[in-house]
Amino acid sequence: MNPIQEAPGRALPGPAAIETSGLTKRYGKVTALSGCTVSVPEGRICALIGPNGAGKTTLLRLLAGLSRPTAGQASVNGSTPRQDPAFLADIGYLAQEIPLYRRMSAADHIRVGAHLNPRWDAESVRERLTGLKIPLDRAVGKLSGGQRAQVALALILAKRPRLLLLDEPVAALDPLARRNFLGLLADAVAAGGLTVVLSSHLVADLERVCDHLIMLASSRVQLCGDIEDLLAEHQILTGPRKDTTALERSHRVVQVTRTPRQTTMLVRLNGPVIDPAFEASDVSLEELVLGYMGQDADPALARLTTVGEEQ
Amino acid sequence: MTWLVWRQHRIQFLVGAALLAAFAVLIVITGAQVADQYHTAQAACAAGHGCQHPGGLFLGSHAIGFLIISTLGAPALVGLFVGAPLVAAEAEAGTTQFAWMQSITRKRWLTVKIGWMLLAAAVWGGVISALVTWWEGPNNAEQLNVFDPGRFDIMGIVPVAYSLFAVALGIAAGTLLRRTLPAIAVTLAGFIAVRTLIALLLRPHYMSAVTVFYKVTSGFTPAGSYWQLAQGVVGPNGQQLAQPNNINYIDGVPASSLPGACTQVSRGAFTPPASCTQALSHFRAFLTYQPADRYWTFQGIETGIFLILAAALIAVTAVTLLRRDA
Repeated sequence: MNPIQEAPGRALPGPAAIETSGLTKRYGKVTALSGCTVSVPEGRICALIGPNGAGKTTLLRLLAGLSRPTAGQASVNGSTPRQDPAFLADIGYLAQEIPLYRRMSAADHIRVGAHLNPRWDAESVRERLTGLKIPLDRAVGKLSGGQRAQVALALILAKRPRLLLLDEPVAALDPLARRNFLGLLADAVAAGGLTVVLSSHLVADLERVCDHLIMLASSRVQLCGDIEDLLAEHQILTGPRKDTTALERSHRVVQVTRTPRQTTMLVRLNGPVIDPAFEASDVSLEELVLGYMGQDADPALARLTTVGEEQ
Repeated sequence: MTWLVWRQHRIQFLVGAALLAAFAVLIVITGAQVADQYHTAQAACAAGHGCQHPGGLFLGSHAIGFLIISTLGAPALVGLFVGAPLVAAEAEAGTTQFAWMQSITRKRWLTVKIGWMLLAAAVWGGVISALVTWWEGPNNAEQLNVFDPGRFDIMGIVPVAYSLFAVALGIAAGTLLRRTLPAIAVTLAGFIAVRTLIALLLRPHYMSAVTVFYKVTSGFTPAGSYWQLAQGVVGPNGQQLAQPNNINYIDGVPASSLPGACTQVSRGAFTPPASCTQALSHFRAFLTYQPADRYWTFQGIETGIFLILAAALIAVTAVTLLRRDA
């Protein structure tokens, strides 16, 4: 159980597509993102998970260069996010609201993209939208929400970016379209030269395709790393109800659930567990994420995790 | 980028072009009639004995006259419907996040957009002004009132500057407020306020006015389309006389300030007695005005003021948009 050990068969992490240190964004007195230090190697599909209002959109917008940090630095594809054609050409950012010109058709958007980007694969958009039976000549404002999302996603891919930043991209898609789109992303990443960051407040949305995780809660990074490594570093310990201070001394307890008879803990391991009273089991990504979200929740909510205590 | 601007604004462009075309047709047809009417009257006058000036002509029609005067508001239209939504509508719809994530800087996006809008505004103001100026040609020659407030503002080159100012004001308001409707309201209020203040408070003083004193009995009229700013009578001690409406005047001098002999008027045959002429000679009339030959200087100064204001508003827009988070 060495957390530093690489899983077999995986290449060493390459140069980072995203590297931030102490990235902070304040809007007046409201801190939207605080001291965010994360790293995403090239060629990964990274899930950006966090409850609503955790700062996911803020982080993505900082990385895309749409807003400027109050403090800290970001490096994206090796340079600071800025208004520069060369930087922007390598970034595909899709905002949650799926901004498109409502009165313009998909074909119009394809033409705009061709005018404004050095690399532009118009054929891929046409092919993809035709395949999805989305009319190219209808104003996008008249398409359904899902169709609009498909148009926007196809346009983003046509830019042939090195880094895709997608804010809740699957929220507007039905389950089949979701599966389809994530498959497409996985293929594009497998083909090389592409890194993807997808945000969602639901782990289940992204679990299938992601191999990297950034978890935000309350404007702070709770977890960041390779998903397999993170899962290996954490375990769920179940045992009789008793004093856990000894365990807490050697491992980091993320979350504790107590019932009258037993105690369940999510711990970040710091070496093997020696206490034979506790039974260790592997943690799923969903359990891991929920554990960290629960830990962060305010005390009133956190108490809910102590099931049946009063009985 | 130009293609995107065209694609986004082609309906506005077509509507604007259609309005201009309709206006042009109307103005050209009625303008030809006005010119015809004027030349006929002049010919008749020249043929007549002792007539130097047709006088008392009413040229055009009330409807066209109203349309001509309403072009005072034409520059505001581009501000309201082209300027104000330019950035605000995109900020509202979030499409700036689409445009700014293409491989193009915000600076270029803004430059191309604003450039075309300014060009459109200049053409709009220029075409309307050219048509109005041409249509009003006979009237200007006839009534010599081209310098008057309200007429100065719809002819010559100032409508071009007003249009540029209006569109710049709309763009700046939309950029700062990020919402279309409030931006439209602010643009309308701002345009009216600035135009009114400058026309009323600044324009009369672009150059120091000329004041001419003359005998009350002789009268004085400057040449051409001068702009009269003030007129009155000063008394023997140099004091300006109040000019209430409800008293009798003789040559602009209140009868109460003159000897009784002056008021003994026999209808139709008034030969003032010597005492009266003597008394009147102590009074002097004055006229304060801007001479007609300053017309283009004034047009130039006013144009300059509005161009500077427009440039300042564009600068505010650029600084705001380039510094602010998207």
